[in-house]
Amino acid sequence: MGPILAVEGLKAYYQMRYFGTLREVRAVDDITLEIQRDEIYGLAGESSSGKSTLIKTIARAIRPPLNVVDGAVRFDFAGQGPRDIYTLSAPELAATRWRHLSYIMQGSMNVLNPVRRIRHSFVDFAFRHMSLPMPAFLRRVEEHLGHLSLRPDVLESFPHELSGGMRQRVTIALATVCRPDFIIADEPTTALDVVVQKGVLEMIRRLQREMGSSVLFVTHDMAVHANLTDRLGIMYAGRLVEEAPTRALFRQPLHPYTAHLIRSLPRIGDDTPRHGLEGRPPNLASPPPGCRFHPRCPLAMEVCQQTTPVMQELAPGHRVACHAAAQGILP
Amino acid sequence: MRGYALYLFKRLFQFCLVVFIGINVTYLITHATPIDPVEQTITAATAFGTTSPEAIAMMRRSLQDLYGTGGSGFDQWLAFWRRIVVGDFGPSLSAFPTPVSTLIRRALPWTAGLMLVATLLSWGLGNLLGGLAGYYRRNRLLKFAGIVAMGVHPVPYYIVAFVLLIIFGYLWPVLPITGAYAQGLQPGFSLEFAGSVIRHSLLPTASLVLVGIGGWFMGMRSLVSNVVTEDYTVYAELAGVRRRRILGAYVMRNALAPQVTGLAMTLGAIFNGAIITEQVFGYPGLGSLLVAAVHAGDYSLVIGVTTVSILAVSFAVLLVDVLYPLLDPRVQAR
Repeated sequence: MGPILAVEGLKAYYQMRYFGTLREVRAVDDITLEIQRDEIYGLAGESSSGKSTLIKTIARAIRPPLNVVDGAVRFDFAGQGPRDIYTLSAPELAATRWRHLSYIMQGSMNVLNPVRRIRHSFVDFAFRHMSLPMPAFLRRVEEHLGHLSLRPDVLESFPHELSGGMRQRVTIALATVCRPDFIIADEPTTALDVVVQKGVLEMIRRLQREMGSSVLFVTHDMAVHANLTDRLGIMYAGRLVEEAPTRALFRQPLHPYTAHLIRSLPRIGDDTPRHGLEGRPPNLASPPPGCRFHPRCPLAMEVCQQTTPVMQELAPGHRVACHAAAQGILP
Repeated sequence: MRGYALYLFKRLFQFCLVVFIGINVTYLITHATPIDPVEQTITAATAFGTTSPEAIAMMRRSLQDLYGTGGSGFDQWLAFWRRIVVGDFGPSLSAFPTPVSTLIRRALPWTAGLMLVATLLSWGLGNLLGGLAGYYRRNRLLKFAGIVAMGVHPVPYYIVAFVLLIIFGYLWPVLPITGAYAQGLQPGFSLEFAGSVIRHSLLPTASLVLVGIGGWFMGMRSLVSNVVTEDYTVYAELAGVRRRRILGAYVMRNALAPQVTGLAMTLGAIFNGAIITEQVFGYPGLGSLLVAAVHAGDYSLVIGVTTVSILAVSFAVLLVDVLYPLLDPRVQAR
């Protein structure tokens, strides 16, 4: 079987019209990537690098002014053959969601309906996908909550009665109870303290191993990526700039931006001061020509200002879009 | 649960306090008028023919007894409250000797019935349409409904009432223009009587709904347009939860809480709104009664109607406070 997700030349722009003139913000610009079965794929990059836009586009969770301009998002759930999610009809999409493709949203603290008991949320989200009678369904839910160290009585609670960590675990339980083939997790641990964060990450890892699902995990926190993901993609200004198995990427980053991200991590025994990267990410409404990173890049050459670098596979499974790396210059 | 009992007790105490103060203010205002009901009644009774001074003195004593105007100011006040707590407002001055409570009992069902139906109808329709318009923002029909609601809303109520009256009472006379039921009909549980009551209530109800619906519609629409961007709504849509369920249990349910508070306040205040309606459509309710009482200087009747109104408003507010924790579990009973 091929990859579970193949994104090809995806372009998604925020398109706004002011008095007849079109203003485009190219938040996702020409991204191609594949995610294999049974792997955790990480997506990293600083704020406004287009991570969230990319996964919203992948999940077909977009609403105007965000539009897909070009490209395809092909999912191949267990033996059905690849299909572009944007060609699915509304009923097909509804049947796919949560059964095959589920989503843990950013800001998970507010994703539960404040006036509905948790049990009803589970019924709303998951019941129609499980061919089970209601009592058996609720037993299954309770069992699943147990996997996440939650007592069955949270089902009778309202969201505001639970702590942040519990709510987060409830959200993860909600997204995984149907054992979906593909889970998108957008910053699911960002709002949590490190102790709870560690527990939640371990749970995601364990659930993923048990179910054999694929996870697309998005966070700006490189330490989390180092601990959790199998492969890692780095985004900068709406483009994918590097992609490699996580260990290889941390051992030898090829893109100068990736090198900066990794170098910013503190290490035990290393006392050298950390340096921030000069400058700010570019305005995506009018990105710089050539390589979008060149104004901040210590290795920038003349060619970087003129031509946009393309993704090249420089080592097995290690792709990078950088003129310097292509010439063998390492950051 | 103990917390809730304490909360309930506090709210009940507040309720009693508000009613007490409200009725006292009414008492003070009405007693500040220069009209003396005893002298007025005596004047009316002795206008024709001559009456002996002894008879007049006797009459004065018994009338003072009846109206509770004898003795010092404090004694009068005590006597007033002694009668209020048992629901005795004394005899009406303008319809002497009919007791005020009888007059109110006769008028109250008309006002309560008319206003309750009209308020609930406009609240229900306004919220339903407003919710739909907020959720299905592209729907042409709902957009049109919004324009109509917003257009009618600022028109003063009496103009809408008169326009309806002119259209359906004179230009195309299909509906009765005055009264609560056809004259000569015996009130009772007959089909004919019920039909007549409904026919007579159509115009006043329609005018109230037409004017009332706009506020609820616009309020709900803007509440809903906030709720649809909340994370929990977006997430439910993302999860493929059925649209009907999202509209009902996620969007409307969360937007409704402030509207319920509004409803209770409106329900309590229905006696104020009824005055113009009942005047225009000649409806025999509390509003007409109050206006007649004020014109006649019948202050026991004014106190009676006002007291009923104060009780209704305070009770509605109490009810909202008591029921609110059921509606929104986040509201702690404090």
